Amino acid sequence: MRRDLIVGDNFSGRSAALHAGLKQGETFFVGPYAEAALSGLSSTVADEIAIYARRPDDAFAAIDWTRFAGRKPATLSGGEQVLLALHCFSRSAYRAIAIDTALEQLDAQNRAAALAWLAACSDVTLIDNRIDHIDGWTRRAQAGGASDHACDLAAMMTELKPRAAPVVSIRAVDFAYAPERPIFRALDLSLPPRVYRLLGANGSGKSTFFKILVGVLGTARGAFLLDERSYDPRREGNRVFALATQNPDHQWCGATLAEDIARRRRALRAHGVAPPSDAALAALASKLGVRSADQHLYELPLAARKRLSWLWPFSGAMPWIMLDEPTIGQDRATRQALSAVILHLSRIGHGIIVVTHDDEFAGTIPHQPLRITDMTIRAA
Amino acid sequence: MTPNGAIVLAAVLVGGAMLTRDLVGLAALSLFCLGFGAIELRGRTVRALAWSAAIMAPLAAFMAVVWVGVVGRSPGEIAAGVTGTRAAALTHVTVICTRLFLIALVTQLVILRFADMTPLAFTRALRAPVVLKKLIALTLSWIDTILHAVDRSRTALITAGVITPRFSARNAANGWILVQTVWLSVITIAIGRLRDKWPAENTLARLDEALAAPAPPFRIGDGAWIAAAIAAVATARVV
Repeated sequence: MRRDLIVGDNFSGRSAALHAGLKQGETFFVGPYAEAALSGLSSTVADEIAIYARRPDDAFAAIDWTRFAGRKPATLSGGEQVLLALHCFSRSAYRAIAIDTALEQLDAQNRAAALAWLAACSDVTLIDNRIDHIDGWTRRAQAGGASDHACDLAAMMTELKPRAAPVVSIRAVDFAYAPERPIFRALDLSLPPRVYRLLGANGSGKSTFFKILVGVLGTARGAFLLDERSYDPRREGNRVFALATQNPDHQWCGATLAEDIARRRRALRAHGVAPPSDAALAALASKLGVRSADQHLYELPLAARKRLSWLWPFSGAMPWIMLDEPTIGQDRATRQALSAVILHLSRIGHGIIVVTHDDEFAGTIPHQPLRITDMTIRAA
Repeated sequence: MTPNGAIVLAAVLVGGAMLTRDLVGLAALSLFCLGFGAIELRGRTVRALAWSAAIMAPLAAFMAVVWVGVVGRSPGEIAAGVTGTRAAALTHVTVICTRLFLIALVTQLVILRFADMTPLAFTRALRAPVVLKKLIALTLSWIDTILHAVDRSRTALITAGVITPRFSARNAANGWILVQTVWLSVITIAIGRLRDKWPAENTLARLDEALAAPAPPFRIGDGAWIAAAIAAVATARVV
């Protein structure tokens, strides 16, 4: 029996320690995001399971996967992808599993179920920023070292710009990915600027809601209003919501930071939004841990990429901020500093919607909970 | 019908379409395909027809403009050095487009016939070396990776306002940014798998195991359809 919990701060070498300790070729690996959680060899959920399935019994099945058999794995939510990976492991011939922060994407119920199930496995190595100790597990602490990408969120506070965010009203919105897969029906919601936490089970439509607000997804019916004036992000372009996606790699607009900034600045100007200056953005990026505008975004460590994904939401370019699982991969100190930044942004007039399964983090920020239930969103 | 039977049938029909050089023969093969669809797919045949027509329409329109509108004579007439007519050019365009339509239709009919099978199950059932099956599975997964990269790049660029969700001049100007972002995403996804997931698991060995099932034997239905297809091709060559 081997159950190791690797603990430490960001950039302390936890992922390297995890990889160094696993038996190459014999360990099921669940990485932080889909490209390192699922095999990438399957076109459907049924195929993903078929690639690994060697035994029918002892399966971890938080979801009835027969309902998802025909879905493309990449279209599952982040949490669902992790649950699928765990299900595949439970059906496979592997004896060992290594998980790098992936459980942070699970809702409380699924996370508890996954941890309870892993506790009964014979060979587990786990990194999880929200867990410092598990009874019966070996705790392997990585000493923190200096990093080129250390961030200083506290020093950033003075540079955050006040905004007067408009009241966002959503009227009778219907949205479905397919007729048999409705997500929202007759969604009515009014959001005066403050901090909201959007709650819902894995796959309930939280990220979908964000994509609707920025105009990536079009609704079948309904309207959006800003301070009671009509707003159509699909027609006018998004000029209100700055989105930090769950996977930071889903939001880059260039190969380097300079390229990303230049393209976003041009786009903002085209929408009549005055972008922050290059110097202001460079200062902000530096405090988020990226000192050079020539930095290649995809070469950054994952935790640093996640932090840099907050650049535009924190820049003040747009009055509403949407953060999708901002604490994934972030150590305790960064999570605490982030909650202070969110509080400050709220006080200086921003509207903020946070999706997080991190109850401890959410508990540090006064907020209005919103819950997705019965294909609508209600104040919880 | 089995997947192997369907592959042989498709090969016969595509080969027949390539060999048939006149409209009457191609019409005969089209009729055979419609008969196959009516029996094996029933109502879904309409979907296959619509998809094949939609995918051919832009090429047909382009060829019509070039050959009938601009050139005004067929390639055969050009080679023979005769004046030529637009009617001959139209016949040339119609034969080419009908042939391509037929190939698209056959492909779509086979895909829809086995729509209840997953791509992996279909590939596993093929009578082919594991290496070839693996190549097919990797190709399909690569296509899915690219489609996923397109989706996430589109999300990033629309959110930032670099492109728009609808047709626009901005999309024409910034389309290359989408291409660059998709390519960067594909590379990142591939590196993520190759560096972390696949070496730890030896995932490709799992794929080998999943594909290494014996192929089901041909059935009477396969033989009947293949024989009918050969007869249809022969008829198309004769008429």
